[in-house]
Amino acid sequence: MKSEDLLRSVIEVEAPWQVVKVRDDLGKRQVDVWIAQQTGRSGWFFGSKATVPQDREQVWRHINLGNSRCLIHAVPPPKAAGEAPLWCGDGDLPFTRAMSRQIASMLLEGIKFQSICSILDVTVADLWKFKHSLDSGKAGLSSAPPPPPAAAAPSTRVPEADDPVWEKLLDGSTNIDIRVLSLKLLLTKLREQMRVITDAEVRVLKAYELQRYFVRYEQMLNHELGQLGR
Amino acid sequence: MNTNEGLMPVGRAADLIRAGKYLSIGGDEQALRQLPAGNWIGGTIPYFMANDGGKISRDQVFVHEIKGFSAPPIMRLYDADGLPQLCRNAPENGFTILIIPAFSECHGSFAENAPNYEDMYMKPVVGWISGIHLDDLGKVSPKVVLGTTGEFSEQHAVAMDVPLPPNKFARVDIINLFRPGTGDTITFAETGFSVGACQINGKQANLADYLIGNSTDTRLPLVADYCGAMINVSIKGIDANARRVDFYAPVFPGLDYKIAAPVNDYLGSFQAALPKIDSGISFSCNCILNFLYSGLEGKRTANVTGPMTFGEIGYQLLNQTLVYLTIEG
Repeated sequence: MKSEDLLRSVIEVEAPWQVVKVRDDLGKRQVDVWIAQQTGRSGWFFGSKATVPQDREQVWRHINLGNSRCLIHAVPPPKAAGEAPLWCGDGDLPFTRAMSRQIASMLLEGIKFQSICSILDVTVADLWKFKHSLDSGKAGLSSAPPPPPAAAAPSTRVPEADDPVWEKLLDGSTNIDIRVLSLKLLLTKLREQMRVITDAEVRVLKAYELQRYFVRYEQMLNHELGQLGR
Repeated sequence: MNTNEGLMPVGRAADLIRAGKYLSIGGDEQALRQLPAGNWIGGTIPYFMANDGGKISRDQVFVHEIKGFSAPPIMRLYDADGLPQLCRNAPENGFTILIIPAFSECHGSFAENAPNYEDMYMKPVVGWISGIHLDDLGKVSPKVVLGTTGEFSEQHAVAMDVPLPPNKFARVDIINLFRPGTGDTITFAETGFSVGACQINGKQANLADYLIGNSTDTRLPLVADYCGAMINVSIKGIDANARRVDFYAPVFPGLDYKIAAPVNDYLGSFQAALPKIDSGISFSCNCILNFLYSGLEGKRTANVTGPMTFGEIGYQLLNQTLVYLTIEG
C-alpha cells in the first residue's frame, strides 16, 4: 500500500473527499492534513486541483497518528450532504467527530480530564470547550459507539450504569429523598443539563456520571440507595 | 471543646503555628499579620461566632485545627485561571478548605463557574469568602493568606487540601433557615450577579421594579430548591434608576426562585434545625448577613462557631447559610 493510500485509509477519507496537502513541519510531532472535495480529476493526492478555501477553512484536532498530533483542515460539508465524515468536526467544536467519540469513550470510562489531556495531548481549554458543548446541549455524539458494559463490583448496591433508573433520576420522572448535600447539588446540575441535551449518547454520558458518584459514595448513600429499588 | 480551636488571642494562635499545627484562621488583617509563617491558611474577617456568642474583634483570631489527616495537607494559592483545577488537585479521599477574597476576580469566577469544575461534588469543598469590617469599606480590601510563605493576596484564593485515611470520609452540610415563601416564582435567563430582566410567574418583568413595587424586605434572600437543598441568593442592593438588582451570589437559569419567608426567631429556629452530630464539627462558618440581620452579636448559635463571612462555600458559593464539615466513618 502506498503511503498516500495508507494516510487516506487511516483518516477514513472517502470520495468525493480527498487529501490535498500534508505538512509535518508546522509543529513539533504534528501532522497537518488538508481535505477537500474532488473537482473532477482522477488524482486523489497532492496533484489534484482541489484546494481548501482559506476563508472558510476550519481546523479540528483529529485522532493522533502514532505519537503525532493530527490537525485536519477543511471546509465543513453542508448539513444537507448527509452524515458528516468522521474526520470532520461539528460547529465550533475543537475536535473531529472521530476524536470526539474517542474522548467520549474515555469520559464514559471515568478517565480524569487531566489524564485525557495527557494521553491524547489535547489542551485542557479544548477539552473544557468540548465538554461544555455537550453539557449545554449544543453538541452531540450521534453515532458514537455504545458504551462499554459497566464493570460494577459484585457486592455493590449501586445499579449498573446502563440501568434505566439513572435516566429516570436525571429526567425527574423518579424523585427520591436526598440527605447528602453534594448529591442534591449534583443532581440539580445534571437535571438542568439534561433539560437541554437531546443527543442520546450525551444523555448516557450523564447517567454514567451520576452512577460514578453513587459508586464513589455508596457508604454514605444508604438512605438514597434504599429508594432505588435494589 | 478542643482548646486549639475557637476565638483566641493572636499569641495563642502563634504558639499553635510554631507547634507545627495545621490551621485555618480567620481574623482582621492586622491580627493576621502578626502571625508567624507555618502550616496555616487564613482570610480577613473581624466578625465571629465564638463559644460565648457573636463577636466583633480586631485583635483576636478564629482558629480551626485540621486533624486526622493521612498525609500532610497541601496549601497553595490559586489565581482565577487556576481555580477550575481546584477539585482535580484535591485528594482522592479527603477535603479542601477554600478561602476567597470578596470582590476579587476569583470570587466572581468561582461563584459562576464552580458547579462546572471538574470533579465538583465528587470531592468535598468547604470554605468562605473573606471580608472586612464594614467601617472599613472602601478603605481596605479583603485578603487571604498562605501561611507557609506569609503571602497576603487580595486577588488569589487560598486552599488547603487535606487527605484522609481510607476508613474516613468528609461530609459537607448546611443549615439554611430560609424557605421559599408563598409568593411569585422568579426565573432568570442567564447567570449573573446583577439582574434586571427576569420572568415573574412566566411573564417578562423587571426585578428591581418588582421588588420596589412590592416593598419587598431585601434582607430576605431569593431561595431556590436544589433537589431538597435550599440555596439562597442574597440581595446586595437595588438601583432603581438603572432598574437593576445586585446580588451577593449569582442567580442561575433553569431554577425557580422565590422570596424567602421571614425567619422571626433565628436562634430558636437554628437550635431546632441543628442535627445531632456525633463526630463533632471539624469546620464551620456562617454569614455576616445572618449576624447583622438577626442581631447575633452577643448571642450563641449552639456549639457551632466560626467566622461570620462575606459568603460561604459548601461546594459552591452560598449566602446567608451556615456551612459545616464533619469527618465520618
